[in-house]
Amino acid sequence: MRDRLVTAGRLIRPVLDALYNASGVLAAIALLAILVIIVAQMVARWTAVSFPGGTDYAGYAMASASFFAFSYALNHGSHIRVSLFLQRLGGGKRRAAELWCYGVGGFLASYFAWFAIKAVRVSYKLNDISQGQDATPLWIPQMVMAIGTLIFAVALVDRFVCIVFGAPITPEHEGSDRAHAE
Amino acid sequence: MEQILLTGIFMFALFFLLGSGVWVGLSLLGVALIGMELFTNRPAGDAMITTIWTSSSSWTLTALPLFIWMGEILFRTRLSEDMFRGLAPWMANLPGRLLHSNIVGCAVFAAVSGSSAATVTTVGKMSIPELRRRGYPERMIIGTLAGAGTLGLLIPPSLTLIVYGVTINESITKLFIAGVVPGIVLAMLFMGYVAGWSFVRKSEVPPPEPKMSFGEKIRESRFLIPVMLLVVSVIGSMFLGWATATEAASFGVVGSLVLAAAQGSLNRETFLTSLMGAVRTSAMIALILAGASFLSLSMGFTGLPRALAEFIATLQLSPVALIVALTLFYIVIGCFLDGISSVVLTMAVVEPMIRQAGIDVIWFGIFIVVVVEMAQITPPIGFNLFVLQGMTEHQINYIALAALPLFLLMVVMVGLLVAFPELALWLPEQVRDAPGG
Repeated sequence: MRDRLVTAGRLIRPVLDALYNASGVLAAIALLAILVIIVAQMVARWTAVSFPGGTDYAGYAMASASFFAFSYALNHGSHIRVSLFLQRLGGGKRRAAELWCYGVGGFLASYFAWFAIKAVRVSYKLNDISQGQDATPLWIPQMVMAIGTLIFAVALVDRFVCIVFGAPITPEHEGSDRAHAE
Repeated sequence: MEQILLTGIFMFALFFLLGSGVWVGLSLLGVALIGMELFTNRPAGDAMITTIWTSSSSWTLTALPLFIWMGEILFRTRLSEDMFRGLAPWMANLPGRLLHSNIVGCAVFAAVSGSSAATVTTVGKMSIPELRRRGYPERMIIGTLAGAGTLGLLIPPSLTLIVYGVTINESITKLFIAGVVPGIVLAMLFMGYVAGWSFVRKSEVPPPEPKMSFGEKIRESRFLIPVMLLVVSVIGSMFLGWATATEAASFGVVGSLVLAAAQGSLNRETFLTSLMGAVRTSAMIALILAGASFLSLSMGFTGLPRALAEFIATLQLSPVALIVALTLFYIVIGCFLDGISSVVLTMAVVEPMIRQAGIDVIWFGIFIVVVVEMAQITPPIGFNLFVLQGMTEHQINYIALAALPLFLLMVVMVGLLVAFPELALWLPEQVRDAPGG
């Protein structure tokens, strides 16, 4: 039984990794989109051309850049956590603590994803329109939040399962990215 | 009684989740959920989505990834070499000589990057070996670098100030401009320390550099001048009201791409690594902000912020006493949490308190950043200490001790801010409003 699960896991592995990376690429495209929208907005202002809804589109791109990148950032150890206590644990205790973290994280992200999906369905059903000048049906940008958090939840549960099956806890390379935020 | 018990559970959950190593953003989300379940009958999940969607898709927030990206691009250029070469000739005649290039270098890099650890890395990469070769005392090299690196948080663009502005809904431009004068004053204090050291410990000061003519000095810093121009135009465009913080940031990204291309350090690989680096760092902060926005909604239902603000009011503390108390509070928090997390985590509670006490929120933003900066150079988790430990292989305690005089100067800075609030408040009043908010 266990062997079968491990084999199944090996088969899914590349699919999941590709999913997280694709999600990261989408986030990068969204960041580029923010730049393009803001620059377009400035150019529009100088040339007195109107660009209605630019601020709203930039906001949607911002949400996409964040939500799609959550899982990608997780796999690169970029998300901040208090590791003072974790670092003092060794061996089995450390594994148990990591399981707790990924478990709680996976639960919260799944909860978030569940309600994000619900919000998209409600917005679609009620035909909610953005209050801004863009008049976008809200379910379209909200879909980004739903998909992004769903992938994030999958990534957390994925790590949880890996640790249960004895995968090594990824080395703490958190410093590398945190260095750019402080 | 029941209220106290519930509040106790709520606070315990907060400390437990954070302390056990659950990612900060998710911890805040979890605690907020617990708060909603304990204190109100509202459907927690739907409230969570509405709040987080509104805060995550906000236009103001777009300044954050753009400024991060700008720093990431310049971080990967030859800036670090150019910085030392360009600054050293101008510093050689000051008392304390080239040590000043550490401080001025940090101040300049702080103006292209919002991060203090990136500032330390970039400046130190070149200045540590160069200063060592010339025989400057190790303690002074490390100390000035650790201290001056924290200017990255104060001099705009500052990620901590963006996060603060987004959290309390204040103009990011105003906060940025408010950081300029205190940033310069703090840099001057650090430079004064170096000058003072050179008079007291004359024997430790290495021999002077060979003389250079004015023309030679200019030639040495020719690579640095474009960067300075970029800095001045990014900050200047905000100050003159030509651009909002977000627009200035996108101008900064385009400008730094052009600079990197002109230097020949822009290629497919550096472009992509800088972009992906920015994506990760901004996602990390976005997750914290998402959790924090829901937490501040939930905090509102607990009644905790209001009760605390009322309690503080009954104490009849003078504003100065309140500031002293908050300084200690943030230094303690800074021992466990990074700057951005401690700002977003506490603002839901602290904001009503300072508004009640009649403290200006722009001023408070600058105050909180200086205090959070101090935490960067105090053990156990001062982040600049880690960065320098990685670069020099000294013990954390040695680095912290070397940085201690600069820490004390920051305490002096807090005192100056309290005594002369105009330091932070005068310049923002001169800002013109940007078109389109």
